[in-house]
Formats: sequence, C-alpha cells, structure tokens
Amino acid sequence: MKQYFKDTWDGIWTVLIGMKITFKHLFTPAVTIQYPDVKVKLPDRVRNRLYVNIDDCIGCDQCSRACPVSCIEIETVKGVPGEDLGTTSNGKKKALWVTKFNIDFAKCCYCQLCVFPCPTECIYMTDIYEFSEYDRNNFVYNFSALTKEEINQKKTNFEKFQAEKEAQKAAAAAKPKTDTPPAAPN
Amino acid sequence: MALKTEHMVLNMGPQHPSTHGVLRLELELEGELIKKVVPHIGYLHRCFEKHAEAMQYNQIIPYTDRMDYLASMYNNFGYVIAVEKLLGIEVPERVQYIRVIMGELQRIASHLVALGTYGLDIGAFTPFLYLFRDREKILTLFEMTCGARLLYNYMWVGGLSHDIHPDFQRMTKEFVNYFKPTIVELDNLLSYNKIFIERTANIGILPIDTAINYGVTGPMLRGSGIKFDLRKDDPYSIYDRFDFDIPVGKGIYGTVGDCWDRYYVRVREMEQSLRIIEQAIDNIPEGDVQSAIPKRIKPPKGTVYTRVENPRGELGYFIISDGNTNPFRVKVRAPSFVNLEVMGELCKGHLVADVIAILGSVDIVLGEVDR
Repeated sequence: MKQYFKDTWDGIWTVLIGMKITFKHLFTPAVTIQYPDVKVKLPDRVRNRLYVNIDDCIGCDQCSRACPVSCIEIETVKGVPGEDLGTTSNGKKKALWVTKFNIDFAKCCYCQLCVFPCPTECIYMTDIYEFSEYDRNNFVYNFSALTKEEINQKKTNFEKFQAEKEAQKAAAAAKPKTDTPPAAPN
Repeated sequence: MALKTEHMVLNMGPQHPSTHGVLRLELELEGELIKKVVPHIGYLHRCFEKHAEAMQYNQIIPYTDRMDYLASMYNNFGYVIAVEKLLGIEVPERVQYIRVIMGELQRIASHLVALGTYGLDIGAFTPFLYLFRDREKILTLFEMTCGARLLYNYMWVGGLSHDIHPDFQRMTKEFVNYFKPTIVELDNLLSYNKIFIERTANIGILPIDTAINYGVTGPMLRGSGIKFDLRKDDPYSIYDRFDFDIPVGKGIYGTVGDCWDRYYVRVREMEQSLRIIEQAIDNIPEGDVQSAIPKRIKPPKGTVYTRVENPRGELGYFIISDGNTNPFRVKVRAPSFVNLEVMGELCKGHLVADVIAILGSVDIVLGEVDR
C-alpha cells in the first residue's frame, strides 16, 4: 500500500519536473524556420547540384571515371589540326570537342569525388538544392554547349580528316613500292 | 477440461512506425504473451559487399556512408583505417585528431537520434524534439566542414577531403558548453521520469552470458554490465591518448541489462564523448590533411580485419586484396545486424507492448542490418 502511494507520487512529481523544463522552453525563441519563405544560409562548402563550366572543360573524362555511380556521360571528338578550340581559363590548350556531357542527377550521390580530379576545376558543386521534377528523365542535364548540327559537323570534319590521313598513309605505304626505281642496269 | 488453443502469429512491420525502418517481426503470441520472435530482414538490401568488388578503394567510401546512415562518419573511419593498414600508410597527427573529434561528434549525434526515437516509441514526444534540435547543431558543424549533412564521404584513405573550417574549433567548443546542461535536462525530462522507468526497467533483460553468446557489442553489451569498449580494449587511431570512462549498466531501477540500463549507458556515453572532444579540440596540431593521400590506391596482396567502436557496437571491415585497384572482397561485420539477433531471447515472456520498448533499446539501423 505504501509502495503504491509512493509510486503514484513519483509519477506525478517526475512529470512535474518534466513540465517545468518544457515550461521554461515556452519562453525561449523558436528554432523552427518557415522553410519556403525563410531559408537557412548554406555554408561555402555545401554539396548540392553539380555545375560544369563547359568553356573550361577539356574532355579528359577524369570526373566520369571517379564517379562511383557512373552518372556522368562524356563523349568527345578530336579537333582537326588548324581548328581553333580555344584555351581554358587557366591556360590549358583544348584538343577535344566535348560533344556530350550529361549528368544524371537522379543517379548522382553528391559525394564530390568528381570535383577533386578535375585539372581545370570546371566541375564543381553549387548551392542549388531545389530542382525537383515530375519526370525522372528531366534529371539528365546536358552541359555540352554544341548544337546537334555543330556536333555532326565536328564528327564529319574529324572523319574526313581521318579518311584523308588514312589515304595519305595508304599512299605513303604504296608509294615506296612504285617509286623505288628499279635498279638501273649499268 | 482443457481447451485446445493455438498460438497466434502476428506480423509487426515492415511499415510499423517503431521498427525504425523496414523490418518485419514475426511474433508468435499466446494471448498477450510472446512465445517467439523472428526478425525478417532484407527489405533494404543494396548489395554493398558485391558493389564494393566492382569499385576502386576510394569509391567505396560513399557506399560505406549509406550503411549506418546515422553514423556515416564512423563508417568512413573504420573503412579508411582498414585500407590504410592494408597499404601501410602513416597518417598525419592532424588528421588523426580531426578524425577522433568527428567520430565522437558523430557518436553524440547518433545517440541523440537513438534516445530521441526511443522516447518517442515509449510515448514521450518532447525529448525527441529537443534532441533533434541539438543534433542539428552537430550536423551544422559537419556541413560547414565537408558540405554534407548526412552522407559525408569526409574521411579518405590517408587523409580527409577537406581541412576543418576556420570557425570549427570555436563552434565545437561552444557546442560542448551548450550541450553539457542539455544532458542534465534530458535526464530530468526522460531518464528519471517514473512513467519512462516503469515502461523500461525490468523489461528485456539481457544476461551477460546470453550477450556474449550472441556476440552482442556496444552499448547493449555495456548495458549488461561488461566493460568492453574497443576504444579502450583495442585502441585504434589515437584513442589511447585520451582519458575517458566506460559507462556500464548498474541496474539502478531494475535488473542489470534491462532496457533502462541500455538507454542510460547511451546517455552517459555522450558525456564521455564530450570529454574526449574537449581534450582533443585544443590539441589539433598544424599540418596538411591531404599530404598522405596516395595518388593511386593499389594495395599489395593480403587480408586485413579492423574493428572500430561504432555508436552501435563493433564495426568490423574484412578486406581481401588481390593486388588490384579494386578489392577482391569487402566483408562488413555490422553491429546492428548482430545485435538484432538477440531480439528473440529478449522478448520471450513479455507483452506485445514491450516489444516496442525492447526493439527501441536495441537501437538498430536497418541500412546497416541489410547493407
């Protein structure tokens, strides 16, 4: 009987202690933020959606190889001699046309492993985190600046160049046979 | 005349809110009493170990994040220590100190979730909100340092992805000072609450011999009264330099090894983590955190097993290398997985309502159970 009353008293008393704490918290400023209207200031190193500055990209494919989930797809076409591909902002000469640079953000795990190997620092993480879509296909972002016609042109240019080179090679290979003058009979 | 009765089979989960994820418990009941509990797992299986075979060593780190997603830092920690041992790299002092601080902060954050959701399972909603508010402060520290809030990919083989933020030390000290009174508050609000004690004391008693037989580790083992902590008993990194105690269950309100003891061990562990952080935070030596990162990770042939004290118990990584850039095999000894097995023993003879109290005190993370 005594135990019963003690337990009841303990129950009430410890709840009152808890109530005192919650009562104190009534007068502390709220920590909740009204999200869509008010936003938290994100730190500088924040890791959200990737961005590729394609002007600086040399198409070296290192980010794609570093990616653990293979969400970066890169295709390149070699530039032909005489064509000016420009230089990157840190002075590297470009040798490849980046015809395809797709990142699938539905696959991306935001691990930042692609950012570190980039020699021109053209792929980096931004602070954009609100990019939900209704269709999953819309998560594939294309960063290549070339249009379809341009890509076709670059491809044909390179193929032509390749064919010419092949022809030259073939000619060069064929030439010595025909050109070598037969030993002059003396 | 005895009535012929059958046991009733009841499925708890996979959508039950207090199974902490997608876990199905098959309960065999005799009225309200539990005769048998069989946990069914695998709903969150993502083939971590098979994936790891196709990945390079540094690409596995983001995958380890996703096992125990409440203690990602610690998963990184265990993995990088294993690979470093395989490679034979010496890691700079600065890196070691930062790793320990991050690990202990992560332990506090993880315990905060465990305790908060435990209160929630029992019916105490307020502590949950308070603890998540405090966890937010730790996540801010992590976000400031590495940019991510949950899946960090922060510890790399041989170093760290980023050096600490210039404000990190100041803010961590502020957090430690802020958090000490909060633990007292938690004790008054939840730990010593009579209703909470009535729900948890003398429930789900785990005797020492059963705990050892099942291979239970972490706060669950310590709750049963065994002083076993890998940070003290098999020190890795630089844990041997710090002075801290290992809290064990004493059965203050019931029997040693009951749910309340397991809960209380976690509360006291947070205090000890704060002690380690206080000792480490002012002594971080200068240096470059990326100086020891190898260009290409290609360990020699061999095997390695390392174990670290995860917030949930002994997290072990067994790696077999065949001399390639990919590991031949990565086996993970997940503490949650091992601790979950003892559920059947713990629940026997208790009421259905106690299953929730017991499961909460086991503190599983399904991401790690299923991998």
